[in-house]
Amino acid sequence: MEKFFNFQDFKYSIRDLTRSYKKISTIIFTLFISLFVLSIIISLEYSLKKELNSNAKILLGGDLEINTRNEKVNDEYLNQLKKLGDVSSTVEFSTMLADSKKQNAKTFFIRLKAVDDKYPLYGNVESFPKDALNLLQKTTNSIVVNKKIFETLNLKINDTVYIKQSPFKVVGYVETVPDLGRALLFGDFAVVSTNSFLKLNINTLGSFINYEYRLKAYNESLNIKDQVINLTKKYPSYSVRFPENSSNNLKKLIDNFSQFLSLVSISAMLIAGIGISNTLISFINQKNISIAIMKSLGFTSGTIKKIFYFEIFTVLFAISIIAYLLAVLSVPVVNIFLSKTLGIAVHSEFVLKNFLKVFLSGFLVVVIFCLPTISAIQQIKPSSLFRNVFQSCDFYFNKKNISLIILSIVGLILLFALDSQKPLYTVGYFFIFFLICFTLYSLSRIIIFYLRKIKFINFLPLRLAVKNITNPKTIFPITVLSLGLGVTLLLSLTLVGYNFKKEVEKSIPEIAPDYFFVSIQDTEKDKFVKYLKNNDPNTLIDMMPIVSASVTKINKKDPLTYIKSTNDSYWVLERDRRISWSDVPPKDNPITEGKWFDNNSKEMQISLDAKVAKDLDIKLNDTLSLKIYGRDVEGKVVNFRKVDYRDLSINFVILINPKFAVNIPHEYIATAKFSSAINFKEGTFLQNFKNISAIKVSNYLGKITEIVNKIFIAVTVISSVAVIIGLMVISSAVIVQARLGIYQNLIFKILGINTNNLISASVIEFLITFFSIVFIALLFSVGVSYFVIESIFRLSWSLEIVNSALVLLLIGILTVVLILFNNYRFLSPKVYPLVRNE
Amino acid sequence: MSDLLELQDIHLNYKTESTAVEVIRGVSLKINSNESVAIVGKSGSGKTSLIMLIAGLECPNSGKIIFEGEDISQYSEDRLADIRKRKIGIVFQSFYLIPNYTALENVSLVLEINKVADAKKKSMELLEQLGLKDRINHFPSQLSGGEQQRVAIARSIVLNPKLILADEPSGNLDSENSKLIMSLLFKYCKQNGSSLVLVTHDQMLAKECDRIIEIKDGKIF
Repeated sequence: MEKFFNFQDFKYSIRDLTRSYKKISTIIFTLFISLFVLSIIISLEYSLKKELNSNAKILLGGDLEINTRNEKVNDEYLNQLKKLGDVSSTVEFSTMLADSKKQNAKTFFIRLKAVDDKYPLYGNVESFPKDALNLLQKTTNSIVVNKKIFETLNLKINDTVYIKQSPFKVVGYVETVPDLGRALLFGDFAVVSTNSFLKLNINTLGSFINYEYRLKAYNESLNIKDQVINLTKKYPSYSVRFPENSSNNLKKLIDNFSQFLSLVSISAMLIAGIGISNTLISFINQKNISIAIMKSLGFTSGTIKKIFYFEIFTVLFAISIIAYLLAVLSVPVVNIFLSKTLGIAVHSEFVLKNFLKVFLSGFLVVVIFCLPTISAIQQIKPSSLFRNVFQSCDFYFNKKNISLIILSIVGLILLFALDSQKPLYTVGYFFIFFLICFTLYSLSRIIIFYLRKIKFINFLPLRLAVKNITNPKTIFPITVLSLGLGVTLLLSLTLVGYNFKKEVEKSIPEIAPDYFFVSIQDTEKDKFVKYLKNNDPNTLIDMMPIVSASVTKINKKDPLTYIKSTNDSYWVLERDRRISWSDVPPKDNPITEGKWFDNNSKEMQISLDAKVAKDLDIKLNDTLSLKIYGRDVEGKVVNFRKVDYRDLSINFVILINPKFAVNIPHEYIATAKFSSAINFKEGTFLQNFKNISAIKVSNYLGKITEIVNKIFIAVTVISSVAVIIGLMVISSAVIVQARLGIYQNLIFKILGINTNNLISASVIEFLITFFSIVFIALLFSVGVSYFVIESIFRLSWSLEIVNSALVLLLIGILTVVLILFNNYRFLSPKVYPLVRNE
Repeated sequence: MSDLLELQDIHLNYKTESTAVEVIRGVSLKINSNESVAIVGKSGSGKTSLIMLIAGLECPNSGKIIFEGEDISQYSEDRLADIRKRKIGIVFQSFYLIPNYTALENVSLVLEINKVADAKKKSMELLEQLGLKDRINHFPSQLSGGEQQRVAIARSIVLNPKLILADEPSGNLDSENSKLIMSLLFKYCKQNGSSLVLVTHDQMLAKECDRIIEIKDGKIF
């Protein structure tokens, strides 16, 4: 049996590679781009997660965090905690910040963080001036705002801003705080001292207030985790968080995003794989004579194949290293943008496991696409050297090849699925990809079958085109496959990009309110309505009661023990939610299953968001335990509603029956749509209602737009890479076809068929190829883009016919130009070298 | 002289989609060690098919090919390749050197794959003997037809094979180069004790061989 590795064969492969690398430049280029993109995504994801894990205590703000929701901690409990370590208490709540008390005051809806002198227990607050936090503790009624507020309101140190009409002196601004919460991650915030906060005399029911206590153990070796858990058992309304859960939301965001980008980059790599197989078959056909000579000298097909495998894997190995190293070096560049957006500084690092993943992805793609290509060497006969007739070889499939290809595909799917938070999405994605391949291949075979049935064609170029498509050595299926996949990917990304752009440019919906108002107390409800109506009699006001509640049990079982943090609806369980009640179903929340509340029942009945119910596997008549004001109440799920949070009206995950809720202390949330929003002055409103926060919908949308815009940029960059690879693949397919036709063109030339006929035949052949794939490409790209927009990014999808048609037209024109350009030199071959077999 | 190669009642068919063409019809012949044999015949008579059978590049539909006492007619492609590698040298009409290998590399390749020590040195010496000292690092495209064929001859004889098969080796050369090439081929075959099977149209050239076999419609006369 032949040795697997033979140094002599390896030497031949290196010799051949150094002399023929120009002929495989497409392989080198497409492999490099796709591996580089994949490397960047993998490196960045790793660096971000490593940063989150290694800074878990900093991100949490302590060794552990006790959340007492909207109530202050019990003094006895606090004293017990203080025996274990340093305790820092913070209070967060949502409120309005204004730059003056005037009617035309500029306002910001912020998350206000009140901190004590122990804050932060871990990490540093980056601020200007550097001691801004110390000044905060020393100066009464002082505030540090985030940089965006500081710049937008054009503030200066020692300026005054107002919260609930109380003046606060600005002693600095803050760039980032170490304990990133979800609210602070993308929203605006400000920091005050606990003493200043107490002076605000917050007297609302606290739907939007949150008390948190963080502990840093005196001695790191002490196992405070168990002690605090035991201590907290007496206080069931308190929840404890540990460093490993400190940044679940951020991790989830990174997971979702990196999964999407990884799948796009692996698509680019798979399409590059088609280009690789096209280029490689062309390379082998160009080396047809050399291979035949080697065989005549006594090389076996196996040895020659081995030499080619060595060549391609050497290229792959070298490119993987270069691509990965460049990607690692690029991480600091990306960090410039990331540190501003997420407040996390990532560091580049060479990680062997990541490199192996990149290399292995490339290896599997190369194996999948090179097996049938390199195996084609088997078809080359040395006897052709005697007859001077060389047949071009074709992709070669046998049972062994097919088994290896299937194994490699499974390996590739496992490589990405096992490493992903949503393995099913990954598997589904690959399934769709290979389904598209299968559909396109079948289509090409059907077209060949029917074209073969046409016997008489008078128009010469059409006859030549049909002959080219139907001849036994046709590469029509591979052209359909590469062009089809390229067009499908381009169309899909166009539609994804368009829908992102639409979201970015989206104007506020007609029916959307102008303002949200939160923290409306029962006592000021009527005054609030009257004020708005006086301001504008045509104001449409929608008001709902709210109360904080958390889901503690589903069917008597703690959901956090069996529902993973990667679940799409984990957010419902993670913290307190605001719930409400209503006599009738909300008009924009249609019931999808079950019946509305039974008004005669005094027991708690629950109406749930249908999507959340599905994610958490909650059925009708299941029981949910809700903790309201520290008391567990059990209720039955009686219906599911379709809730669309994007309509910007008041939407609740959980609604309960009014008959049960009537005696629960509560406050209100309201929306208002004015006939003319310009007449509403936030400054005047704040003078009258210092406890109510007004959130301008257009500002809120601006925040979303900002985030979506960043995602759009990333999608566009990745799409551009896919576009480049797609075009190269199409180009390589065209070159392969043109090169194969060179001898035929010579014969045609000798027979007197002019170049115009040959050009017309090429164009007709392309048109047959292109129009056969358009419908399938459109069908799949609509499906894929719909899935990406609606299911992954949860935006609304719509079909854009004009842009899609434009993309198709552009691809068509570009490909025709490529065909003519690439065909030109092959259409008029020089007769002498060809007839002499040079 | 002992038997090197024996063909016993060889038949070879080429099948097309609709028909089967019998190109070799019951050929039997013997080739001895150190013997030179010319195969002559018109175009399409079966000369090339016969030489391909001898080279192990085609397998007969029936009959036996005995090489050094072993029936190789049913050998696998890889075993035939191994015999070719060690024992047969081939010279083609169109030279067929590996285009991206230098003259030296084309020749030393044969020694390298047979794991012969000092492959480069031995190849260089041979090329010098063939008058190609200044051409050893040239690629085939940088050589004239005559030079290319000399490199091809060097490649075929460098391992001292038992059998050299030459298919119209001077067919693409002018008369001067043709003479030079053929004299080299005969000289080295004699010198190394190799048998030579020469396919040619040239009766004069054929007469220089020990024996002439004429083939017509796939049969030997």
